[in-house]
Amino acid sequence: MANEYYEFFCPVKMVAGFKALEHIPFELTSHGASRPLIITDRGVRGVGLVDIVTNALDAVEMQAVDIFDDVPPDSSMLTVTTIANLYREKSCDSILAIGGGSVIDTAKGVNILVSEGGDDLRAYSGTGVVKKALKPFFVIPTTAGTGSETTNVSVIRDDESGAKVPFVSPFLLPDAAILDPRMTLSLPPKITAATGMDALTHAVESFIGLAKNPISDAYAASAIKKITNNLADVLRNPSDATGRLELAQASTMAGIAFSNSMVGMVHSLGHSVGAKCHVPHGMCMSIFLPYVLEFNLEECRENIGELLLHLAGPDVYAATAVADRPRKAIDTIVALKEEMYALCELPRKLSETGSVTEADLEEIAHMALDDGSMMLNRIDATFEQALAVLKKAF
Amino acid sequence: MLPIKKGFEADIDYDYQRLYVSGMMKLISQMLKAGSQVDDVIKAEVAEMPEGFVFRMAVTPGTLKLTMKKQDGRLVDLPADYTGKPDLTMTFKHVTFAFLVFSFQEHTAQAYANERIILDGNVPMSMKVVRSLNRLQTVILPKIVAKKAVKTYPDLALVQKLQVTTKTYGQFLLNLVKER
Ligand SMILES: [Fe+2]
Repeated sequence: MANEYYEFFCPVKMVAGFKALEHIPFELTSHGASRPLIITDRGVRGVGLVDIVTNALDAVEMQAVDIFDDVPPDSSMLTVTTIANLYREKSCDSILAIGGGSVIDTAKGVNILVSEGGDDLRAYSGTGVVKKALKPFFVIPTTAGTGSETTNVSVIRDDESGAKVPFVSPFLLPDAAILDPRMTLSLPPKITAATGMDALTHAVESFIGLAKNPISDAYAASAIKKITNNLADVLRNPSDATGRLELAQASTMAGIAFSNSMVGMVHSLGHSVGAKCHVPHGMCMSIFLPYVLEFNLEECRENIGELLLHLAGPDVYAATAVADRPRKAIDTIVALKEEMYALCELPRKLSETGSVTEADLEEIAHMALDDGSMMLNRIDATFEQALAVLKKAF
Repeated sequence: MLPIKKGFEADIDYDYQRLYVSGMMKLISQMLKAGSQVDDVIKAEVAEMPEGFVFRMAVTPGTLKLTMKKQDGRLVDLPADYTGKPDLTMTFKHVTFAFLVFSFQEHTAQAYANERIILDGNVPMSMKVVRSLNRLQTVILPKIVAKKAVKTYPDLALVQKLQVTTKTYGQFLLNLVKER
């Protein structure tokens, strides 16, 4: 296409692999920081993950000034303000976020307040309001799925209105993401599977979406390959550190892909089911992925066909006729879902979640059309079409 | 509409692009106003916007803009000197990008995918506004042009399309007469 255009941006340093956490002190020092505040949640701290980090700091005579471990499952403005006050009280000079999506989003919000000043986060809501570099900020993901360590977005609930307020700025990105296999080793099977399927969906949707580009495609393709090669193995052998690291890297790579190319209708439907019926995000992704690919098939047959190489490997790809590749790609994902179900009972259908009733579907379809992810889906779904996909997935 | 060859967009004078975009913005705001009165699809979208909702489409640095408000259940255009903060703003980063969209060479979603538009504000509302614009384009443009102007051309029988088109243009003209 002569009028093709794209942008690609990822300034996040990747610190990944064996003993990656021991690199944190150097990263802090090289940013002129020595008084980090750790932001995390009870669950993460409870299983001892924070200790691994603080021990690594202690060994080189560096201490976290304080640890805030009370981040709720959906980040809130009150929490952000509380943490920002703690940061100021203790004269911290940097942030270490240890956790999943909510912890990372909360930490991004805290970084806005402590860098820009003030107590009212609302003043910085919207796109591009934050225009300058913030305090040194490092993210240590403890799930392999959300990819929040590579996104320029934070969504934080306004405790008064209940609204989910978005903050978008390139300066929200952390200075580094630290991927260490020790951080995801204790992740329970079902969460491992769900977050892995979330990462897979990020990669697939960015690869077939309207904003796909050659650079994000490269990240997406590698991420897909790592997930399909490792997810089932890790579920069979949860202490497989190498496999865990592969999944963590895949999640970050998928994050880089979708933060540049965005996601599509799987996420529109998933966000809506999540909001209405509180089904975990990764579970929704896993349920909807093949059905939405089916729906999009006519518009992106070629791209879905290309997915087969990364999903099933070169032998299967070579042995499948070009015309059959799109179908085979979808079937491979269906087979992966069956495997996830066999290994840890990850629901294959909405009805298997036990949280969604057929009567909910109309409202979910209606909500999905207004979800921003629909913008870059290759086909604009009508209400009837969205409902039909939901019914198939029920 | 101008016959524009692909790949030669840059050759069109910026002054001309500005003039064209300015004219199209005026036309679109008037058509959208008419559509919100007579077209069932646009009416349904507008019905779900809160009363008093204000959205703006602007071109950097901001002299070219279209601002509309939901008032008494339908859309009305606001004067250029409106100084309030809109609930939703869609800003083209350059006049050329607005020109690409308004000359139907790149549809809105593609322009967004190509990072030519910055969306600021309520996301669900932006989806409603974009769908209203899409609907308007499928209604007022000939099918061959509209197919390029929107991402997904809807299932719309010719008779049905002609009826809505006539109604929308009719209301547009009626509004013009009324405002005289
Ligand atoms: Fe996701």
